[in-house]
Amino acid sequence: MIRKDVVVIGAGHNGLVCAAVLARSGLDVLVLERRRRPGGAADTAEIAPGFRGPAAAHTVGRFGTGLYRTLGLADHGLRLIEPSVRAFVPSPDGGSLTLWADPQRTAEELRFRSPGDAAAYPRFDRKLRSLASFVAYLHAMTPPDPTGPSMSDALGGLRLLRGLRRLGGAGNTREVLRVLPMAVADLVKEAFETDVLRGAVAARGVQYTAMGPWSAGTVAVLLSDSVGGGGAAGQSTLAAGGPGALAEALVSAARTAGADIRCDTEVAALMTTGDRITGVAVRAGEEIEARAVVSGADPKSTLLGLVDPAILGPTMGWRASNIRGPGTVAKVNLALDGPPPFSAEVERLRGRVLFTAGIDDLESAFDASKYGRISEAPYLEATIPTLSDPTLAPEGGHVMSVLVQWAPYHLSEGNWDARRDELGDLVLKRIEESVPGISGMVRHRQVLTPLDLERDYGLTEGHPLHAEPGLDQFFAWRPMYGSGRYRLPLRGLYLCGSGAHPGGGITGIPGANAAREVLSDLKGGRLS
Amino acid sequence: MPLPTYDAVIIGGGHNGLVSAAYLARAGLRTLVLERRHIVGGAAVTEEVFPGFRYSVASYVVSLLRPEIIRDLDLSRHGFELLPLDGTFTPLEGDHLWRTNDHGRTLRELRRWSAADAEAYEEYGRLMVDMARFIKPVLSLVPPDPGRIDVREWLPLLGLLRDFRDLPQRHQGTFVQLMTMSAVDFLSRWFETDPLIATMAASGIIGTFQGIRSPGTAYVLLHHYMGEIDGAFRAWGIPRGGTGGVSEAIASAARSFGAEIRCAAPVTRILAQGGRATGVVLDSGEEIESRVVLSSADAKVTFLDLLPPGTIDPAMEAAVRRYKFRGSSGKVNLALDALPDFPSLPGPGEHLRGAISISPSVEWMERAYDDAKYGRFSRRPYVDVVIPTLVDPSLAPPGKHVMSCFVQYAPYHLEDGEWDDATREAFGDTVVETLATFAPNLPSLILHRQVLSPKDIEEHFGLTEGNIFQGELSLEQLFWARPVPGWSRYRTPVRNLWLCGSSVHPGGGIMGAPGRIAALEVLRSVRRGRRRGRRGAVA
Repeated sequence: MIRKDVVVIGAGHNGLVCAAVLARSGLDVLVLERRRRPGGAADTAEIAPGFRGPAAAHTVGRFGTGLYRTLGLADHGLRLIEPSVRAFVPSPDGGSLTLWADPQRTAEELRFRSPGDAAAYPRFDRKLRSLASFVAYLHAMTPPDPTGPSMSDALGGLRLLRGLRRLGGAGNTREVLRVLPMAVADLVKEAFETDVLRGAVAARGVQYTAMGPWSAGTVAVLLSDSVGGGGAAGQSTLAAGGPGALAEALVSAARTAGADIRCDTEVAALMTTGDRITGVAVRAGEEIEARAVVSGADPKSTLLGLVDPAILGPTMGWRASNIRGPGTVAKVNLALDGPPPFSAEVERLRGRVLFTAGIDDLESAFDASKYGRISEAPYLEATIPTLSDPTLAPEGGHVMSVLVQWAPYHLSEGNWDARRDELGDLVLKRIEESVPGISGMVRHRQVLTPLDLERDYGLTEGHPLHAEPGLDQFFAWRPMYGSGRYRLPLRGLYLCGSGAHPGGGITGIPGANAAREVLSDLKGGRLS
Repeated sequence: MPLPTYDAVIIGGGHNGLVSAAYLARAGLRTLVLERRHIVGGAAVTEEVFPGFRYSVASYVVSLLRPEIIRDLDLSRHGFELLPLDGTFTPLEGDHLWRTNDHGRTLRELRRWSAADAEAYEEYGRLMVDMARFIKPVLSLVPPDPGRIDVREWLPLLGLLRDFRDLPQRHQGTFVQLMTMSAVDFLSRWFETDPLIATMAASGIIGTFQGIRSPGTAYVLLHHYMGEIDGAFRAWGIPRGGTGGVSEAIASAARSFGAEIRCAAPVTRILAQGGRATGVVLDSGEEIESRVVLSSADAKVTFLDLLPPGTIDPAMEAAVRRYKFRGSSGKVNLALDALPDFPSLPGPGEHLRGAISISPSVEWMERAYDDAKYGRFSRRPYVDVVIPTLVDPSLAPPGKHVMSCFVQYAPYHLEDGEWDDATREAFGDTVVETLATFAPNLPSLILHRQVLSPKDIEEHFGLTEGNIFQGELSLEQLFWARPVPGWSRYRTPVRNLWLCGSSVHPGGGIMGAPGRIAALEVLRSVRRGRRRGRRGAVA
């Protein structure tokens, strides 16, 4: 039997970050990945013969800059592409909106549309950055334990408030507490009058979620997405070679530090003695002992799929089954014969391309999903990585990666295997409205439904964030109350994926935070 | 300088203004209440709109009137009597769901739908009562200002924290979920019967511009378990004489303590000099000076309409303008020749004596909300019906009935313009047609119909945008952020001007808590002033 200090389940980006950090501290770490290649949803895959692209996630700009430096990812071959444009929103009438990396440039262009919004935009950008710095402060920490607040915990809470105050004074403290539980539609309405601008900003508050812009708590999602300096426009950083390149750099960093990474190795069950996790059993039958097991899989599949229900107990089983993660995201990847026929110049297309008309358009797209229907006019976020990285496609060809928001995992009629093409058609129709002629250029179309995301990437219900980022699964109670500090209810079992604080997106922060907690427990002798 | 005639002037004789007045007068302050309309009560009024028929025109049930107010003001002696409202009847097409205060009967009924739900119902009820007990003290707290770390402000919260620690961990988790989840998500953890979830969730959206699946609607479920009338948890009731009965009892108590109440005396302006309120000006031009002014009007009316422009700084003004009202409900009051008949449970039985909830499914409720989001009144609205004449026959001529229909959603802002006579009547028709799908004989029984759109509610009761709670009870407008962050402690940036209506914590409903806490805070401040005065400092 193999003995390791730590086994990490899943070589997604968080699992790899966690493994790298632990290995750098001198621990003997083994990462087990079910798929053929590491990376999880940070995946570059072949879309059509000769065309490679971001199979699932497509931007990597939220990856923690501190981590990037600590792990030396540039030395491990990662090259980031940071376009001057963040988002471009074409509309069917031929008009468009561009959010540049430089907020002044955005404001200048907004002047023709609305002088009020032009003046408001840089102000809103600054406000969002300042609020996001509060949230960054929360992201970096292990949440306090709310289950047994003692007087010292209460003082800790006051210290937290004081920490927030140091970042921006009393006014900002009040403001961050006011906006966190708000609906993102309200926040952008306070700032802007142009609907498409409101929609372009608000969309980041609902992306990957089962909420619409009028749902309370979507500002928290927007602020989380803005950590790392996205500002009002968000980030649009790509990895040269696709998101898989980030995974490769992480693998290289982890291996250099001494971690062992094995692909094609699915963990079948967790081994236990009493309520103590003692290791993992892989599908092939091998058993590996470990002092700690860290799961990069989502909390539901970890607890319900890998732990013996008798050990977990009915109460914890019930609570784990109640973790909310209704997937609503699909992915369409297009291999194109030439550059997509936008009327705008190429410079505007190198970031994210958004298909939305505004708040009501987003909300009504969301409405369909509440009743188990595929939205007729879904919100789309596309990137065209080949504009910045031509190596991904054959000469002249292009790749367009499209995230589709709201395609509910639970359909009221039919099933996803039967309705895959219908979704693909809907998406192309929506793009065609603003980019006439694109359908004729599609050489190949790959449609990943929420069901495919579940099957291919092991995401329960296809939820890209592992658990819904609602206020009920937030901070100290993500993914569930009592498990907000990376420790799952069985001793020796940790969570390091997007289901843990601070949640989803390619940030690496849950992985790094979890590693810190594992180290602290191992060093403090709490796992002996 | 002559002394002001009054120690305290209260703008608005709604139930909160009256509660404030009673507490202040009881403490010996010379107190005057100024009410715009010809009767006291604000939105808690009973009016004879059609000869012989007396309606609780706006608010129609009482569940959260603070027991300490009933005790402190001895309201029973002033004619306050609550007639219990038993159960909730949800008619469906061809079936029904009927829950009553008779536990065994409700469980039998639920078992007809789902054995698991019947079992869960008991556990759920116990849990919610525990939760309600835990959260109840919050209704009496003055919220701290998170922008200021003042130990005195936070101390009361520490007590709450201790109570929280003493809860079992399972309850702690439930509490967090209650404060953050949607009513449907929360209820779905316990129940599977769709009309049961829809009907229970409906209480989460009353008076808000949210759907039952909107995050942040679950906590209102607790309200149902907090109504402790005569000490009994969960009871809902109708005051004898309609909701105006509550207001009159409080007014009578206030007068007995020496408060003066003037009706038909609309305040048009608050006198403010050097950042300090000194009195009010009436519509007639009469000026009334007072040491302190309490406004039970909503935050927008108080800060933007009644204060002279420039009194509050621009940041405060922006914050007040941001405060959301978005009225979402309407009211239809019917005078009936006889009781309606619901074929799904025929006859004039006990099921008509409680609330009749038109909430047949989660989808029905959610679609009603969808309409409103895009600026239309719901084509198939949620309606909460009460027939008060079944418990208080004095409200209508013998054999006749009044029927109160609270309707949601009716958005204040319509996509195609304003509310006018035509939209109001179309709205009234929609409500009657909706009811008629469950009680087909209803249209033929209607003698009179009064329809109130949110616009009407605004005009009649001075409630901005027709919001019945003086501002939406959404998470970002609760507790320390109500009405605006930094001013949640009943004080305002204008010295000697206080807020005492539903625009301040803990918000709306016939609760009286804002009025009571505001009065107690005013009294504390007055006492502090006196102490300082004795020491010779300038107050």
